[in-house]
Amino acid sequence: MYLVAHIDQAICSETACRLCTQYCPEANTILYDNAAKTAFVAVDRCKGCEICVGICDDLAKHHAIKMVMITDLENQFEMSKEGFRPDHWNGKHS
Amino acid sequence: MSVKNISITPGWEKYMTKEYQDLVERGPYGKQKKVSEMGSFKEVLEEHPMCAGCAMTLFIRLTMVGLPNPEHTVLIGTAGCGRLALTQTSIPFIYGNYGDTNAVASGLKRGLEVRFKDQAKDVVVMAGDGGLADIGFSAVMHSWFRKERFTTIMLDNEVYGNTGGQESGMTERGALLKMAPKGKMFEKMDMMGLAQTAGVAYIARLTPTNPTRVASVVRKAVMIAREVGPTFIQAYTSCNIEYAIPTPKVLDDAREIEAKRYGFTEIISDEAKAYLDSIDTSKKVKK
Ligand SMILES: Cc1ncc(C[n+]2csc(CCOP(=O)(O)OP(=O)(O)O)c2C)c(N)n1
Ligand code: SF4
Ligand code: SF4
Ligand code: SF4
Ligand SMILES: [Mg+2]
Repeated sequence: MYLVAHIDQAICSETACRLCTQYCPEANTILYDNAAKTAFVAVDRCKGCEICVGICDDLAKHHAIKMVMITDLENQFEMSKEGFRPDHWNGKHS
Repeated sequence: MSVKNISITPGWEKYMTKEYQDLVERGPYGKQKKVSEMGSFKEVLEEHPMCAGCAMTLFIRLTMVGLPNPEHTVLIGTAGCGRLALTQTSIPFIYGNYGDTNAVASGLKRGLEVRFKDQAKDVVVMAGDGGLADIGFSAVMHSWFRKERFTTIMLDNEVYGNTGGQESGMTERGALLKMAPKGKMFEKMDMMGLAQTAGVAYIARLTPTNPTRVASVVRKAVMIAREVGPTFIQAYTSCNIEYAIPTPKVLDDAREIEAKRYGFTEIISDEAKAYLDSIDTSKKVKK
């Protein structure tokens, strides 16, 4: 078991700040769903560094990201399974 | 420019990986992507084994977004942490021997100019502080004195990260490292000053605190190298392992070091400035 970043989409979608997507060190790990106006995490790519938590808390001041046990997540997005298909996202992922 | 270089021969799609298909369909080819669009386009960088929270990883990721023509770029790297990610991009990568990067890049750039007369090819060296300021030092300096037209990017984590914590010429005086247990006894090398002496057309020193700035500096450096002369970027990209920085604090550290001593500085020659003024670097440059 290990921790991954998880984004509260209700909080995130109140603004379209997109800051965490620019500061996560890993490529295509925090994705941005333009239709649902929210960021979300490809959990299979997240290395658990928590940089995004600091960005959302201190820079964006939105407090939308928490670290959670990967086993506690439901309906999470995995890039290796679904590939990079923004037209399929539409707020479908937790 | 053109997505043609990477597109899949009709009928062969099903044999290509998902990642590759995504890249052709939704990658940055043929359209200059902005940092603000990150998360909504397929990046040229894939998964890689660099450490969690590594600032160098972030810098490399942003560099890939800044490249003006990824489909016409060749990366040169060498031993050191950065190549672990650089080899996982969809950009041709050449592994120069440790110390040889700028000699390899010189020959390659000249060869590409002969081979592709109608198509600008960008050559970008990305290597560590040890690779460029210590072991590759003479090749770096001579490539600058010879005015070779490519970009050199130093991933300056101020240590030999990949081999477990030896001091480099770029380590700060007094820094304690595993293999500098009494603290480094000499000053950090002034690579910007050396680059200026050698007549480098565009020199920038920065940290990854501002993603848009990183991409814009990279774009300028590559464009100027294409048309004017050698360019050099020195980027603070902390090693959280050797400097024992907890990963949630990596960007706090970058901000602190930037404020204290690293700053953001650009030195640009008159010719390079005139060239930049003549193009709009915020747009994709047609070539
Ligand atoms: C000629 C040669 N000497 C030594 C090495 C061993 N070596 C591999 S990586 C490395 C240090 C890398 O330090 P740096 O260039 O600063 O890159 P970093 O890992 O810190 O990013 C060394 C000495 C080598 N591969 N080749
Ligand atoms: S920083 Fe926070 S509010 Fe902004 S996009 Fe990321 S999760 Fe959403
Ligand atoms: S914890 Fe680190 S790797 Fe995971 S999404 Fe956040 S910034 Fe990216
Ligand atoms: S050893 Fe240091 S520089 Fe290398 S990947 Fe890990 S944190 Fe980054
Ligand atoms: Mg180093």
